[in-house]
Parts: sequence; structure tokens; C-alpha cells
Amino acid sequence: MRWFGFGFNAFGQICVHEKLVEGSDTVNEVKVINPTELSSHVDRSGCRQDIRASWSRRASLHLDGDGCVCLAGFGAVTSEECISVAESRGCKDAFISESYLTLVFPDRVESWDLDTKKKTPAWSMEIKTQPECSGTHLNLPLVPGGYIATKPPFYQSLSPHLKAKSLALGAEHAILLSATGAVYTWGLGSHGQLGHGGLISEEEPRAVEALWGMPMSCVATGGWHSVCISDGGDLYVWGWNESGQLGLPSQTLRKAQQQSGQQADASTSPREDPQEGEDDKEVFISIQAFPALVDITPPCEIKTVSCGSRHTAAVTTAGDLYTWGWGEYGQLGHQILSSDEPQRVEFFREQQMCVVDVVCGAWNTFAAVVKEEVANA
Amino acid sequence: MLWSKISAVLPPNEEQFPLQFSDKVESSVVDVLKRSRQQLYSGDAATASRMLNAQIILDISWEKLNTGTWRHVDKDWRRVYSYGCLFKVAALCREDPSEERILQAVRTCDMGLLMGAAVMDNILQVLVQILQGEVRKATKEEDETEHANIKRIKIECPRVPVIKEELAVPRIKCPSLESFNTNYLLPLKPVILEGIIDHWPALNEHPWSIEYLRSVAGCRTVPVEVGSRYTDEEWSQTLLTVNEFIDRYILNRFKISQDGVKSVGYLAQHQLFDQIPELKEDIRLPDYCCLGEGDEDDITINAWFGPGGTVSPLHQDPQQNFLAQVVGSKYIRLYSPEDTDKLYPHQSQLLHNTSQVEVENPDTVQFPEFAKAPYLECVLQPGDMLFIPVQHWHYIRSLELSFSVSFWWS
Repeated sequence: MRWFGFGFNAFGQICVHEKLVEGSDTVNEVKVINPTELSSHVDRSGCRQDIRASWSRRASLHLDGDGCVCLAGFGAVTSEECISVAESRGCKDAFISESYLTLVFPDRVESWDLDTKKKTPAWSMEIKTQPECSGTHLNLPLVPGGYIATKPPFYQSLSPHLKAKSLALGAEHAILLSATGAVYTWGLGSHGQLGHGGLISEEEPRAVEALWGMPMSCVATGGWHSVCISDGGDLYVWGWNESGQLGLPSQTLRKAQQQSGQQADASTSPREDPQEGEDDKEVFISIQAFPALVDITPPCEIKTVSCGSRHTAAVTTAGDLYTWGWGEYGQLGHQILSSDEPQRVEFFREQQMCVVDVVCGAWNTFAAVVKEEVANA
Repeated sequence: MLWSKISAVLPPNEEQFPLQFSDKVESSVVDVLKRSRQQLYSGDAATASRMLNAQIILDISWEKLNTGTWRHVDKDWRRVYSYGCLFKVAALCREDPSEERILQAVRTCDMGLLMGAAVMDNILQVLVQILQGEVRKATKEEDETEHANIKRIKIECPRVPVIKEELAVPRIKCPSLESFNTNYLLPLKPVILEGIIDHWPALNEHPWSIEYLRSVAGCRTVPVEVGSRYTDEEWSQTLLTVNEFIDRYILNRFKISQDGVKSVGYLAQHQLFDQIPELKEDIRLPDYCCLGEGDEDDITINAWFGPGGTVSPLHQDPQQNFLAQVVGSKYIRLYSPEDTDKLYPHQSQLLHNTSQVEVENPDTVQFPEFAKAPYLECVLQPGDMLFIPVQHWHYIRSLELSFSVSFWWS
């Protein structure tokens, strides 16, 4: 399995250029628009490698045999640096946020402060594994009895009746998939990201009623949006659409693109374009408070999905990767920087590669590929 | 040269350029800030690279500013945002910038002033004054047809209500502090104070007009409310320069939307005078504010500038209010908080201070008690200052091009 990355690279988390190390970065090095292969520190061909990414870092999990984690990006001196073998050796799973790296071992969970580089974890907790009880393997941030937050206080308990199978954390909300295929959300709702139809916040997990009766197989969150995949491979989205991250028409995005030639952005370009009449007939969505079905043409079955802050990346069962949303740093992997319509990343087709997995950092995207013949074998 | 003027207000070197943040701001972000600082003082960094680093800082802090509720956003993230604006302005103005670039730099300063928090002794305010100076040098002469336009606007005054004498808000000319306190403030009775703002420069040396506002603030970016009233579904907020706002919503220079409905734009409830200190010098704090318990510094001064037809739905505020009318006139209706039970406030937390009733077109079936609620009304004219006691319900409709200044005090 090989991994390719594209998008935000200001800390060399996708690939390092010599110039970057010397301190004079150029646009091309910070914004990696064309998918670039990740070089593996530990050269063990054929071994399974998983990726986790935060805003400034990328973690590679080598899980065959004795697991270990390698970090690239902010703070990593060379192109790739294995964090001290003693610290990550033997881990079964890892989760990275901007300030902490959380590791799961057979008997314990630990969160390490990435900034201070101390010799002991900032927090740890014992876990008692009951090998016969868990039919489903728990994945971070889920741990027995609850989940690990991205900063202190780390441990948050979850009611066992939720039967948590997987969990994703956004900037101000959380989404949980239960073993029965039901979806629960909680946290702030001001951007519609809870999917209950309004903008109110929820303190406790609340079932997304619109999806009731349709079992879901996968959930993911961006900064302010939520996505899930049904058993049948349909993709549902809800939340903030200011950059088209829902794949629905976005007025803010269109207006920004209309500005002639100028590269506009949400952060300092508020100019209203006085062109009227053109988009009168189209309905724009800035907040989608109920789940909506994403239309991808040609129609396809979605296998897995991941989200960055303001973009979404989905892998189809046919091995294609589609991306949409905010793309100013190249995180969509094609020449059209930002888009409110799902677009296929042609690079992988052209290289005859079959995409099998996708993981997003805040402003970048990592895709796992196998050669087409291997996939079809 | 512009860059030397900007350079002169920045710290002399990298060592004296402060970048101090709490640990809420992650080291990775501070790393990019330091890169930008280094590029600010190095001669050989490329503009594209400077712009890129500034943009990274703006993009990451923008995300933080949009996380959680506004009042809980850590002040240090707003400071980071302001630093991002500073570095972007520096990158834009480094090499003999075009007028377009200078305007972009002004806009960037305004975004920092509106969304960020002051850094380096409010350096963005200092920079925007320098940049405005450059913009004014390049400004062409005024369009003479604008005078004709304004006269035309003044003539159209639809639906000017006739004020019934028994319902009129009382008027008093220059009362003493004591008499105002005794007769109006303590008993919380509305009154129109005449003669109080007669000496404002806004009505004398610098009479506020569209030309004057363009010259002082034309290129500045301000928040504008679009839509007939804030309780409407179609209502939204956007950011425009003062010039764009005037062209589009005051002079109606662009064609109206296809269904024939003219959209209303209102520069409302904005602390314009903090953003543009030159305008603050045209107004004065009413002396009567000293009768309150609060600090002078805590007084919120808002600008309300818009065409005829802007409507503020019936609502109440948690502070005392002096509403000074500078340009144009407004129809205002006041209801006592004692009659709140007849005013049908919204249930939601967001709008519980707003009535559901459309004052000048009430649904008597849905809101039967409303007609029984006693009220006072007036047409507020230039030179008038209305005292709206705390929690007193008020409804306001502009009758023509209007500019008011409100003072919220305690």
C-alpha cells in the first residue's frame, strides 16, 4: 500500500524540499497541488501503514508486528522522524490533534504533549481489555467507556446504551456511530452541524432522526460539517457550506470565484460583487441543518470518507477519489482550487491506481492506493 | 514613498517586534508568525512568500474566530488575526503598490479592526490612516450629478405619519441635568431633548452628507444589514465599503432584483466611530450620560445610516439610550415595559427581546391584545435627541435618507 498526499505543506508534513529547511518557502512548496507520494521512514514493503494528520503534522502508523508511530511536519527535524521508539512501540492505534498525540496500547491509553516533548505522557489511563466481549474493535478517539478529547480534560465518558462503534470530533461538535448503525450528534449547532434541523446546541448525544431506519456504516466530521455513509454506499452531509464542503451550491464560494482573477478568500475579502440576475434561479445553501444526499455524477457507491476543516474527500468502491470544498492549499488535488461540486481526482486514474482509503488533515488530504491489477485480482 | 511611512510606524527591528501569546495559541502557529516577522525585516523575501505566510495566519485564526460562540473566542486568537492583517498589509505595500493594492490593504486593516483585537498600540488603526491618506491623493473629483440625486431622494417621502398630539413624545429644550434626572431618567419616561446636539460639528463645521462621508470613509469596509428587517428569513449581513453601500443601497445605482422588490441595506448598529476616529470628532457624548452609574468608557456608540424605509422591529434593549438624529427623519413608536404582555415577544432565546408584531401592519387576529397597548410616537428630526429608557420597547422606521447616532449607557 502506498500513500499520496496533497494540500497544505508549510511544515513539510507531505514532503520536504531543501529550500523549506533553509527558510525561504515558495508557494509551490507550501501548497502541494499534485498528489505526491509519501516516503516511508521505515522501509518495510507490503506492511500496512495508516495515516493520521493534524494541521501541522502527519503521523504514520506502522501496525504490523510491534506497532510504532512516525511523525512528520512541525517539530520533526528531518524529513521523517520516528518519535522515540520506547514511547510508541507496541501501540495499536494513534490519534493526533494539533497539540497531542494519543496512543492506545493493549493495557493503557496515553496522550503525549507534542510541543513540550517531555519524557512522560501528559495523561494516561489503564484499560482493561475483555477479549471476548468486543465484537467490534474500538478505534480512537473511542476507548472503553468513552472517548479521548483533543485537549484536557482528555477522558469523556459515553453512555453504554449508545453502543459506540466509531466517533469523530469537529471544531465544536461530535458525531457518533452506534453498532446498530444509528447516528448521534452533540455540541454546538450554530452551523447546522448537528443535523437536527435547527441551530440549537445539544449537551447530550441526540439521535439524528432524519436518518432513523437507515443504518450508516461510517461517520466523519470536518470543522463545522458532518458526513456519513449508508450501508448502501450513499453519502449524507449537513452543516456549514460556506466553502462548498457539503457539495451543495455555495454563494460565498461563487462570489469569491467571480472576483476577476483575484485570489479571494473568506478571511479578508468581503467584497460584494454587484452582479445581479445571474444566479437568481439557483438556490444557494450556506447552512444545511438536516442531512442531505450528495449527488455524485456518474453515480457511485461510497466506500469511505474523511473531512478536513472545510473540505471533504470520498473514496468509491470503484477506486476513485472525489473531493470538494475549500481547496486554497491544494487539498482537493486538482487544478480547480475550491469547488462546491464533487470532482474526481484524475491523477489516480491517470496513474492507473486504485484508491482504497483516504484520511484528511485540516488542510490536506492523504490517499492510500494499490495498483489497479492488484485491486482487481 | 508609502513603504517608508509604514516602516516608520513599525518596530525598528525583528528583536523589538513583540509576538507574545498564551498557550492557547499553538507553537506551530507561532512558528508561522515568526516566519512572517523575519520576512518583514529581511530584504530578500519574495512578495508571494510574504503574502502566503500572512494568509496562513489569517486562515488559521479565521477558523478559530468561527469556533464556538464569539464571546468565548480567546482574545489571543483575535490578536493573531490582527497580526495576520498586519503582515498582509506590509506585503501588499512593500513595493510601490497600485491603487487597487492600497484599497485591498485598507480592506485588510478594516477586517483586522472589525474581527481582530488591537495589537502593538492598535497599529492597524495607525496604518489605515496612512493608507487613507494615499487613497485620497488619488481620488478624482466628485460627481456633480450626486447632488441632484440626493434632492430627488429627499422629495420622495412615502407614508409620513401624522402624529396625534395626545400620543406625542414630550419635547423639552435643553433641560438641566437635575430636571432631566428628576422628570425623565428616574421615572424612566421617554422624552425628546431639543438643542442638545445643535453644536455638534456634524451639524456645523462638518455637516454630514453623502459627499462628506465618502471623503472621510468611502474606502472603508463596514457591516451592512440586507433585508427589510432582522426578523425576516431573507435577512443577512454582509461587508461592503462605504462607497459600495452608498452606491448600491442609498443611490440605487444597480438594477433591482428580478421580482421587482428593492432590497434594503442598512448600516446599522455598528461602532463606526471606533473604526473611524475622524467621525468621532464630529459628535459629542451627551452630558446627561454622567447621571448613570457606568463608566464613560463603557458607553457604546453606534451609527445608524441608511435610506428611507429601513425598519427596526419593535424591541427592547438592556441599557439607557440616547438616539441623536443628525440627517433625515425617523418615525418612532414607544411602548412601556409594563405592557410587555400585550406585545407578544418571540419565545426563542435569540429573539426574546423582539416583538412578533409588525407595528404598522399588525395581525389583529394573531395578536389581539396589541391594539390595546398604549404608546407614544414621534417623528424624530435633525437636531433632536430621543431618550429611550432602559427596556422601553421601540419601533423605528426611517422616512428618508437618515443618519442617527445612539449612545447606550447605564
